[in-house]
Amino acid sequence: MTVAVPKKNLADWHSPETRPEVIHELIHGVDRYNPTNLPYMEEYLLSQIKEGQYDLFANLAILKLYQFNPQHSNPDIIIHILIKSLSSTVHGPDFNLSLGLLREPTAILHDIESDDESLSILVPYLTNLHDLIRTCQFTKFWTEFNGDSEAANILKSRFLPSHAHPIDDLRLQFSLSIASCFSSITLTQLSRWLNLNGSEVNEWIEKVGWTFEGEKAIIPKNGDNDVKAGVVKENVQLNQLTKLVAAAAY
Amino acid sequence: MADPTAFYEPAEDELLSSLAVPVQSYNPDSEADEYRRLQELEQHAYAQQQLMVAEQEQEQLQALEQVPEDVKRFLVLFHQAILENDLPTITNMYESGWNKLTQAHYSQNEWPEAELISPLVGNDQVFLTLYRELYFRHVYAKLQPTIDDRFQSYENICELFNYLLNSEGPVPLDLPIQWLWDMLDEFVYQFSSFASWRANPKNKNEEELEALAEAQHIWSCYSVLNVLYSLVQKSQINEQLKAEKEGKSPEEVAEIAGDYGSKPLYRNLGYFSLICLLRVHVLLGDPTLALQTMEHVDLSGGAFLTRITACHVTTYYHVGCAYMALGRWPDAIKTFISVLIFFIRMKQYHTRSYQYGSIAKQCERMYALLAICTTLSPGPSDESIMSIVKEHYADQLAILQRGGDEALETFKDLFLSASPKYLNVNPPPYEDPSALEAYLANPPIDATQRFLDLFISDVVAVKGVSNVRQLLKLYTSIDASKLVTFSQDEGDEEEVLQQLMVLKAASRTYAKGQAQDKLLDGERIVTNNLDFTIDGAMVHVEETTSHRRFAGFFIRNAEHSQRVFNTIKASPLPIQRKPATATTGAPQDKNEIKKTGAAWQPKRARVVTAAQ
Repeated sequence: MTVAVPKKNLADWHSPETRPEVIHELIHGVDRYNPTNLPYMEEYLLSQIKEGQYDLFANLAILKLYQFNPQHSNPDIIIHILIKSLSSTVHGPDFNLSLGLLREPTAILHDIESDDESLSILVPYLTNLHDLIRTCQFTKFWTEFNGDSEAANILKSRFLPSHAHPIDDLRLQFSLSIASCFSSITLTQLSRWLNLNGSEVNEWIEKVGWTFEGEKAIIPKNGDNDVKAGVVKENVQLNQLTKLVAAAAY
Repeated sequence: MADPTAFYEPAEDELLSSLAVPVQSYNPDSEADEYRRLQELEQHAYAQQQLMVAEQEQEQLQALEQVPEDVKRFLVLFHQAILENDLPTITNMYESGWNKLTQAHYSQNEWPEAELISPLVGNDQVFLTLYRELYFRHVYAKLQPTIDDRFQSYENICELFNYLLNSEGPVPLDLPIQWLWDMLDEFVYQFSSFASWRANPKNKNEEELEALAEAQHIWSCYSVLNVLYSLVQKSQINEQLKAEKEGKSPEEVAEIAGDYGSKPLYRNLGYFSLICLLRVHVLLGDPTLALQTMEHVDLSGGAFLTRITACHVTTYYHVGCAYMALGRWPDAIKTFISVLIFFIRMKQYHTRSYQYGSIAKQCERMYALLAICTTLSPGPSDESIMSIVKEHYADQLAILQRGGDEALETFKDLFLSASPKYLNVNPPPYEDPSALEAYLANPPIDATQRFLDLFISDVVAVKGVSNVRQLLKLYTSIDASKLVTFSQDEGDEEEVLQQLMVLKAASRTYAKGQAQDKLLDGERIVTNNLDFTIDGAMVHVEETTSHRRFAGFFIRNAEHSQRVFNTIKASPLPIQRKPATATTGAPQDKNEIKKTGAAWQPKRARVVTAAQ
């Protein structure tokens, strides 16, 4: 697994490298409204899940198709998309962007005449998890996640098994948040936030390229956890002076 | 319902074929029913029909008599100008003539119906369609549109687009860009107005319910997107813009554009359609798609869209709103500020335009959104604009900065008053009475409320941030356990550390850099000058200070004095080139000028010698 450093830019967010050319063409053209493409799109989502990849824009295109063709809605796919956007970022807009394209679960289920209630149960649950994640309440998150509620059980028994490494995805995202703040952190705190026991924490620390120092983990400098007070000096660009230089030249 | 597979099949010329373009059927005058009954009584139906037609014609002629002379003359000339593609005249008649006559004769009622004036224009159907477009726009702007108006204006605009897109080859028509923009702008406006009217099944009478049940396709999201995408495809506008950006020659671009896109009418319609798509996507709550649509459109100062103020303002407003939905506050702030600066400068030229009111309203909304964005992402921004924000929203800003539940209410109020009027993709099930009843008994959350909730969840997530930030400002380093005792909420060390992580994230975001030309692109940036590192449980605070900025001031003033100097130099007083000849025979006052000129003379002399 990679070192826990946030992405420098958004290129990978709006056009991930793993996205096949056909999907790119599809979501950039009017073909994205064609419901006959749904099977390909859904298949692409399932391959993301299996391979542990993530392509938000393609997933939003699926939700858009459901929006326009309510009779084609697939609640399981919707839940998978929400899980994907939940586990791929701590502070990004991904989860809310997905929610923005959804109606109330009951309305969706009504349109496809399904009596599988899991969508209605899971959407509020996932929304709650998302609120905990974005406010960095990681300990509470794990309590909810590992809890014995109906929603937690459905999520863990029916949906997570098809994902490649959902829990490690979450841990990596949490590690990103931690790494942006801490230059060192106690192992006990780390194990609470990552939901790992003593030896697992050690393994994780090695996995993300951190080091030990007694009861602490040392996080390498990454630009966010080693801030220095600076003085912003005025920086004049040459093109601001074009008029002046031009005027001085004769 | 319109066939949903209609418009992503770019099957050549048939893009709009499935779009319902019904035969124009206008209600006969009230007497027509009487005639119909007469007709039933009459045995010689044919003769009677003839008579009826004749009578109707007679009536129409009489009604035409009623139309004021200047209006008739205007229509005849207007028709003539459009036939000749005489752009300056069309522009003039469209922008001023029409409005003047509206003020004089039709400030309280409709313009004459198209059927009525058709003899004046030789029954030219294209002109009549354009005329109806203006007719309905006037109804929407000044009067209360009935359901018939809404349906007919939809049918009319579809007929127009159908004519443009499905004729054999490009049509020989040219219209001023202002009109083309207004046409598409109105198209989206009428769509959103209809969609929000349709979204509420309450307070509709039987007749309206019936009409809505029957006419599912009218103003449906699909058909609106269909029209816009068809115009984009027909004009090859994306390919054109891409080629232009790559620096291809005009000939190459024209070749890429094809038969349609190389004509200004189609190119401009395609271009404005992209902007309308941006709007529709924002209204339907899909900000990423909205920004993706604008991928190839240049937004910089001299871009084509800035030629029409309304278009410029609308584009920036919606781009800013899309950035807000992505939590990219600095980008939203930058977008709003840049168009507001432009608007303030342009204001003096536009106060008389009939759209001035709506443009000003949209700008007012942006000030409100700026109050939101700058609270969520404080940092230096344009002082002149921010002073207006502070002036208009002083009370609200004070509450927002205090935080707490009261602030949340203020965020809500500002958002509701300033956000776009979001729409639902799916209308209530009018076609199914039992489903409609269920819908009424348990109405879903409306679109605006949905997006308000999402926005508020963004706000709630960072609600503790400003307090922690204020607290950290007081220290260079502080133990987390000590911070716990200071924080207002009851909590333990872990919670404080979590708060700090939220603060860290709230001071970072992605923003579009100068080098990136896609709106969706962004680089990670730091948005606040207060920053910190946590070493175990010890928080080290670092604050970046910025020097006062002088360069801008000096550059502005140096340029200003240069302009003053140039003006003086260009003024009709004789200016001596060579100091030697300057003194000879010069009158007294010229000597004085020479003296004042002494300040800059050495420099000039130096340049001259250098040139030699």
